[in-house]
Amino acid sequence: MTETEVSQCQVLCRSCDLVVQKRALPSRVRALCPRCHTALYDTPYCSINGMLALCIAAILLFLPANTLSVIEIHFFGSIRNTTAMHAAIAVAQEGYWIVGLAVAISAVIAPLLLISSIFIQVCIAKLGLQNPFWRQIYTLLLKRQELLSQLTMLEIYVLSFLVSAFQLSDFSDVHMGMGTFCFTMLFIVMIFLQREYNLEHMWSLLDD
Amino acid sequence: MTKQVLSPIAVTDAKPLYTGISLGLCFCKVCRKVNYVSHSHCTRCHSTLATRNYASVQQSWALLITAFALLILANIYPITLITNRGVVTNDTIFSGTVHLVKTDMIPIAIIVFTASVLVPWLKIIGLAIYLTAISFNLPVSKKKLMVGFHVIEWIGRWSMLDLFVISITVALVNMGQLLDAKPAPAATAFALVILLTQLAAKVLDTRLLWDRMETEHDSK
Repeated sequence: MTETEVSQCQVLCRSCDLVVQKRALPSRVRALCPRCHTALYDTPYCSINGMLALCIAAILLFLPANTLSVIEIHFFGSIRNTTAMHAAIAVAQEGYWIVGLAVAISAVIAPLLLISSIFIQVCIAKLGLQNPFWRQIYTLLLKRQELLSQLTMLEIYVLSFLVSAFQLSDFSDVHMGMGTFCFTMLFIVMIFLQREYNLEHMWSLLDD
Repeated sequence: MTKQVLSPIAVTDAKPLYTGISLGLCFCKVCRKVNYVSHSHCTRCHSTLATRNYASVQQSWALLITAFALLILANIYPITLITNRGVVTNDTIFSGTVHLVKTDMIPIAIIVFTASVLVPWLKIIGLAIYLTAISFNLPVSKKKLMVGFHVIEWIGRWSMLDLFVISITVALVNMGQLLDAKPAPAATAFALVILLTQLAAKVLDTRLLWDRMETEHDSK
């Protein structure tokens, strides 16, 4: 058997190293490892154009979501508002820069990098996979994809500003505006984008 | 590549089971392409190939023990410092949740309790059981361990909720002596606990579990 034949008809489970014969799956079905039940592969849907559309939507939403205030409180006539980045900086300024950095990375920086990375990948996949320079960039981005998507925690951020809204409503009026809406929409778009995205499929584009 | 004598590791339902290592195959950790062991680098993404990462158990133990020490600190020291009309109160992770229960915000209390108390402790205990099973060959069902491991991997990041809530509160509530919230030392410890436990789970090569207990407790 040649190298390509091996990788086309067999997969190794990433959790327990079992050799599993690959078969065609009906859509919306995942193959699980028979020994340890880890998800092995699913049917790659991964429409490049769909991802491009979601990417553009995410890029458009990102700016208002991070510049308009996510949450605003009125307390005895004084108004305080904050964005995700401003909140991270506020914690860092108190001397807790590790906490500030963690918040900034997982709520602002990683999502931004993830969106731009997918956007560039999609553009390269559509236009210039033949060019060796772009191929190199594409490989470089794919290698960092898993880390970036693990660092992106928009869903947790959305839940946490709901939790804070409840806590703060104890003693002040809580207002949510356009920023909250954009942030929530950004989170929803990102969910769909990450659902559509299939790392395995993106790698396989390099093969042919 | 010459053909080796193949010996299946187990036979279930009259079907032999092979592991990648017994067929001379290994997958690339970065792009998951199946390669021959004889290659030193992946043919697709040019990352270095390794069949098993034996050092990962030690690395994982080290990270986990550090995280455990920090988690104790995170629970003892206050995580927020609240000034309310001149009165300063320290809130630890636990007293913060108790305060939520007292103010009749039970659903919020459950969310906060899960994210900042339950998840970190379960994660550390779960990983400790998993690592002991690898290091000392414990007779625990491998399938159950693996399910637990996937749950830990997925749920671990939700601990960040507490830090997000603190950052939002600190940014919003700053009215001097009247009402003021500031982070306190446990916040840093808690952030490091999340980082270290996530790393401990990520660094661990789970294939080692399935290798070591191959001969004995394979019935479950």
